[in-house]
Amino acid sequence: MICENCKRNEANIHMKRIINASATEVHLCGDCAKALGYGGAFSSFGLGLGDLFGNFLSHTPTFSNTTAVRCSMCGNSFRDIAESGRFGCAECYETFYDKVLPSIERIHGQTKHVGKRANKENKDTHYITDTEDLKQQLDKAVEEQNYELAAELRDKIKEKVNKKDGEEKTDE
Amino acid sequence: MNNKWYLGTGAQSDVIISTRIRFARNIKEFPFPSKLGVPERIRVNNILEKAILDCKEYDFKFIEMKTMSQLQAVSLAERHLVSPEFASSGDGRALIITEDESVSIMLCEEDHIRLQVMKAGLSLEEAYKEADEIDNAISKRLNYAFDDRIGFLTQYPTNLGTGMRASVMLHLPALSSLKQIQKLIETVSKLGLSIGGSYGEFTHAKGDLYQLSNQITLGISEKVAIENLKSIALQIAAQERAAREEVCKLKETEDKVFRAYGILKYARLLGVDEFMQCISLVRLGAVRNILNTDEALIGKLMVDMQPATISISVERPLDDKDRDELRAKLVRESLK
Ligand SMILES: [Zn+2]
Ligand SMILES: [Zn+2]
Repeated sequence: MICENCKRNEANIHMKRIINASATEVHLCGDCAKALGYGGAFSSFGLGLGDLFGNFLSHTPTFSNTTAVRCSMCGNSFRDIAESGRFGCAECYETFYDKVLPSIERIHGQTKHVGKRANKENKDTHYITDTEDLKQQLDKAVEEQNYELAAELRDKIKEKVNKKDGEEKTDE
Repeated sequence: MNNKWYLGTGAQSDVIISTRIRFARNIKEFPFPSKLGVPERIRVNNILEKAILDCKEYDFKFIEMKTMSQLQAVSLAERHLVSPEFASSGDGRALIITEDESVSIMLCEEDHIRLQVMKAGLSLEEAYKEADEIDNAISKRLNYAFDDRIGFLTQYPTNLGTGMRASVMLHLPALSSLKQIQKLIETVSKLGLSIGGSYGEFTHAKGDLYQLSNQITLGISEKVAIENLKSIALQIAAQERAAREEVCKLKETEDKVFRAYGILKYARLLGVDEFMQCISLVRLGAVRNILNTDEALIGKLMVDMQPATISISVERPLDDKDRDELRAKLVRESLK
């Protein structure tokens, strides 16, 4: 696909724009995107910099065994991330940390976070995500009449709730 | 719609129309939205809904995007409440929003959570404070994906670190008539900021509205990023005022302002591009006391006269010509 602005380069940045009452996709090359000031301003957040990030693939020597490593949570390989310019999950960062750090540095000029920190020592935190998720799985298992799995999930939920109550008590 | 945040005016509002703070957040337990199918995204949204609506100090309303018409979704994007990307498809997406629309939270856009706070005028510290408080309330109820070394983890590495985009919407009619925008784009990009048409235009921004925002999110604290943005925004505002001083010396400018006013007041068909061009000049005329038109009314029209927003204000479906006719009528009546 050709860049809509210069009508010359290959377009590798694709994004939605609102034109006359509908969301329309626009296609730009990296140079034009930069020249037109297409940063984080109006695209929902930064660009999904396919080019900026994607071309770090070419800077990275491919070892035959690197393709085998996959993120344990989402199944992404390093190549998947490099080609799409995006990560699949939080675990991807951990799995490919050393490999992606140079491109993170190229994007930000820095590699060390200095801002706000996530609130970690929270008891409530685990509750909603873990048990809600399990409860949904439980509903689904019941719906599908998979009672063995349902019983298993029920135990897990009980365990988590008890654990949470226990933690709260030791807090007091 | 009488209590919306954009009906107010704030500091520096002759040039700085509004302020926006956005945070990108994800929860640890699930892959990022692009890795989730629609049913999984709906599940994640339900979890997020419970956690966020549990923050009782805010009057949040939860809306599944699938329940909205395409026009309603696009109208949200026209009002900058959601991204164009978010408006383009409702599949597995949901929105949490306050009554006055000053706080909106996109669920399962590029990240699980995109929290946004908007304020009138230049109000970065206040908007940040509010976003920060909401973020803290949410983080008590969910496990954010966070790494001690590289901060909040986001789908795109461009948002790593603080995950924060702070931005201000600027009205720059004089700088753009003096063809200074390209230079501005080049200058701010060297300062770690970006500027672009607030509706994502390629060349001339509609209504001379530009969005200035921080680019770098890693290795810079929220406070410093906001201070940088504020100081550049104030410098651009000063440049714009100086440019207005120049252009307003010209009889041609006064003429253009009055002609624009005349079009808005008498046109029978008014397309959105022509409308935005005219309203921009009328706004310039109003803040320079060439015209006696209320600034707040102009701000309201700039929002309400966008194509999708105008279309959902009436019951019947409109074609392009109906819409232009209705726009002309509404503008004419409001300028009485
Ligand atoms: Zn191009
Ligand atoms: Zn992963």
